[in-house]
Amino acid sequence: MKSLSWRAFTIIGALALLASACAPGAAPSGSAAPGATQAAADQPQPGGRVINGSFSDIQRLNPATSNDATSSAVSGRIYDSLIQIDPKTGEVKPWLGAWTVSSDGLTFSWTIDSKATWSDGTPITGKDFLARVKMQGRSKVTPNKSTYNDVEGYQDYASGKATDISGVKLDSADPKKFTVKFTRVFCPALTNVFGNAPMPDHVFGKYTVDSDPTKTVDEAPENNAPPVASGPFKFKEWRKGDQVILTRNDKYFKGAPLIEEWIQKVVADSTVLAAQLKTGEISTGLIQPSDFDNLKAEERIKIYEWPDNGYTYIGWRANNPNVAYLGDKKIRQALWYGIDIDAVVKSVLLGHGVKQLQHSSSVSWASAPADQLNPYKYDKAKAEDLIKSAGYTKGTDGFYAKDGKTLAVTIPTNQGNKTRETFLQVATEQYKQIGVKITPKVEAFEALVPKLTGGSPEIESVIIGWQLAADPDAFTIWHSSNVASPTKAGNNFVGYSNPEVDKLLDAGRNGPDCSQAARQKVYQQMNKILNDEAPYMFGFAVNRIFATDGRIQNVTTSPFYPNGDYGIEKWWIKGK
Amino acid sequence: MRAYILKRLLYAIPTLLGISVIVFAVTHLSPGDPVRLYTFGALNITEQDIEDLRHHYGLDKSLPLQYVDWMSLAIRGDFGTSLQYHQPALGLLLERLPNTLQLAALALLLQLGIGVPFGMIAALNRGKPIDSVIRVFGVIGHAIPTFWIGLLLIVLLSVTLRVLPSGGMLTVGKDFWDIPDRARHILLPAFVLALAGIANYSRYLRTETLDVIGQDYIRTAYAKGLSERLVVYRHALRNALIPMVTALGPILAVVVSGALIIEQVFTWPGVGQLTYLAARNKDYPVIMAGVMVGSALLVISYLIRDIAYAVVDPRIKVK
Repeated sequence: MKSLSWRAFTIIGALALLASACAPGAAPSGSAAPGATQAAADQPQPGGRVINGSFSDIQRLNPATSNDATSSAVSGRIYDSLIQIDPKTGEVKPWLGAWTVSSDGLTFSWTIDSKATWSDGTPITGKDFLARVKMQGRSKVTPNKSTYNDVEGYQDYASGKATDISGVKLDSADPKKFTVKFTRVFCPALTNVFGNAPMPDHVFGKYTVDSDPTKTVDEAPENNAPPVASGPFKFKEWRKGDQVILTRNDKYFKGAPLIEEWIQKVVADSTVLAAQLKTGEISTGLIQPSDFDNLKAEERIKIYEWPDNGYTYIGWRANNPNVAYLGDKKIRQALWYGIDIDAVVKSVLLGHGVKQLQHSSSVSWASAPADQLNPYKYDKAKAEDLIKSAGYTKGTDGFYAKDGKTLAVTIPTNQGNKTRETFLQVATEQYKQIGVKITPKVEAFEALVPKLTGGSPEIESVIIGWQLAADPDAFTIWHSSNVASPTKAGNNFVGYSNPEVDKLLDAGRNGPDCSQAARQKVYQQMNKILNDEAPYMFGFAVNRIFATDGRIQNVTTSPFYPNGDYGIEKWWIKGK
Repeated sequence: MRAYILKRLLYAIPTLLGISVIVFAVTHLSPGDPVRLYTFGALNITEQDIEDLRHHYGLDKSLPLQYVDWMSLAIRGDFGTSLQYHQPALGLLLERLPNTLQLAALALLLQLGIGVPFGMIAALNRGKPIDSVIRVFGVIGHAIPTFWIGLLLIVLLSVTLRVLPSGGMLTVGKDFWDIPDRARHILLPAFVLALAGIANYSRYLRTETLDVIGQDYIRTAYAKGLSERLVVYRHALRNALIPMVTALGPILAVVVSGALIIEQVFTWPGVGQLTYLAARNKDYPVIMAGVMVGSALLVISYLIRDIAYAVVDPRIKVK
């Protein structure tokens, strides 16, 4: 009987489809009927729905245990953090809380906004900050367990040796107040520690038991269906593999957002994303340079473009004996002069990007002014001169060699990223022209990453990218203590080791002077050294390109908000 | 009959065991380390954190030991916890199974509903233009990769003509039980998934029918003065369909595995999409659960074939 009714269902369904397909003027699904009254539509008005296209689904909505960008972006709408990054300057500003620092730089005193409540009306207090720290400390699956390592007493709590975190003190008189004491000065504390959203103690508190370190939040059902929110939107439904639906939080402390629903929908790839923007199935999404012209031509789509706080580079492995020549600065500089990045920006990025000359992005206050950097203007002759001065001679095969060893490098990149794959082709071709033999290799991201962070001897170089945070701390990427090796994972894949840079990184991270002026000096110096030493061919920064339904108003873009979502609570939809 | 089914199910055990060993070895030995992958880009992570995570997931043990651990839980129906979602792997899979079965069932229906008549029509009109058209279609449907046809149809029907949605199961904001909306979403992926099968069955049935109508008993039937209609339906079709049952056996499994790609193209939130992403993200528990459920489906569909054989052809006795 079951199968029979099933057949009936599908046949009816197919008929319904024919009917709707034949109906004249069938509107594209998902978009509101256009052409309604346009008058008086210029004032911000509440209502409507924004559907954002994303290539991957969320994995879970607890920021304490997740590490993937998609989950973080969505949970960031639900849970606000104590601070906010200024969209223009990249500086840290008070948000859910305001702080003062003790003169020794070790103790932060916080007061949470008096109006701030969870969406169920419970006030947001210091307890919620503590709940976050505790759940992350005891979690067995979080990749961010060490985030709070410099908070006094945290490591003992995390390992179960202590039943409380001595460095976090709640004010018994005013629940909105608390202090956090560090064991050493930690300059990125505001973003790296306090940028982590407080989590509702009255929801999650029960999963972490002070006296029992085996109890964790790891499999709490609320990780996938948060019941309350502190951010502009609250969770409604997660249709796994398809969409996650958030609705307006009317109790949001900055005032209820104007849009009624924000939905993230999974789309297969950039081609489908562009197609669905056109059909109106989705209303916002980050697009590829190759789709720019196509979508620009659509009247009902508006495109925003801004420089990225991140870059795509070729990293040269300085500590791999198979490619010992990459340890020579002359060779690395030659490899920078020998590639025409301006042409790459023009042909691969179709003009939607800029040449990158240093680690920090030009939009960051930590970057060195361009006039203090070597621009590495494309110069094949200079590149070859540098190679020759390193003692190499050109062989009959057109490649340089010394002591019978050809100047050859294998460059891998991850599969599926068209920009990087094309960049690799161009690099192979251009380096051949200066007598350097490149073996290009495209492999799966999941296979490449462990080799990089694990310092595999297979890695001679790599084309990959960094998406940077607002704080300029680059300790994990350039400090010699983070050199990747088979026994110790690290993000310093290229084996870069320079005592001077180490010193600068330490000063930028652990002070003693954490003022922006002092840190700016430190990081500008670091950037100048990296520009000269060329451990990376710093490549280029691809612009972020954000396409939206043209009716969405008040979109504010900023390099520090890579998803284009700054101030989403103020977005509104014109002429719904 | 009951003893036969029981015996067949017993035979399935070593098969599934063998599959599990092979797949477990392949997934764990292929390059890539899930812990390094999931912690990539995490600020402040220490080597101790990585070791702790590896220990937590049991990845610090030797491979045979890991397999024994997995097996001892799997036979109790516990396929472990997904590394990506921190939820039971089997639960994640079963949650999505209905979505894939919907797609597979409609695809199967389309395969038979279109493929069988096409084959018959071609055979009965042998050598005429309609026969050629169906035969050309058969070759094309077989030779062109389905994901490519899927993309083409998305461009044509979704982007250019805008008559069908390009992906997903349901329009955003529509009610979960909005059947017409669901039908609009399922039609394109189901049709694309069915294409190869339609081509296959029409060719298969054409050959079989031609075979059958050359038989003596068909001539006898005509000689008896039976109408064309009766001869075709009662005698020819029924006999031509018998060998089709063999082809039907693995169909469920073939359709489900085809869904692996189609679900990706149409962002259909089914088992295929889940398993594909698990494979890309080295989510071992979900990969294993996906493969084991898929293999179990295959075993069951072969069993159903053999039983169906007996139903269609009374000369075959199930022993």
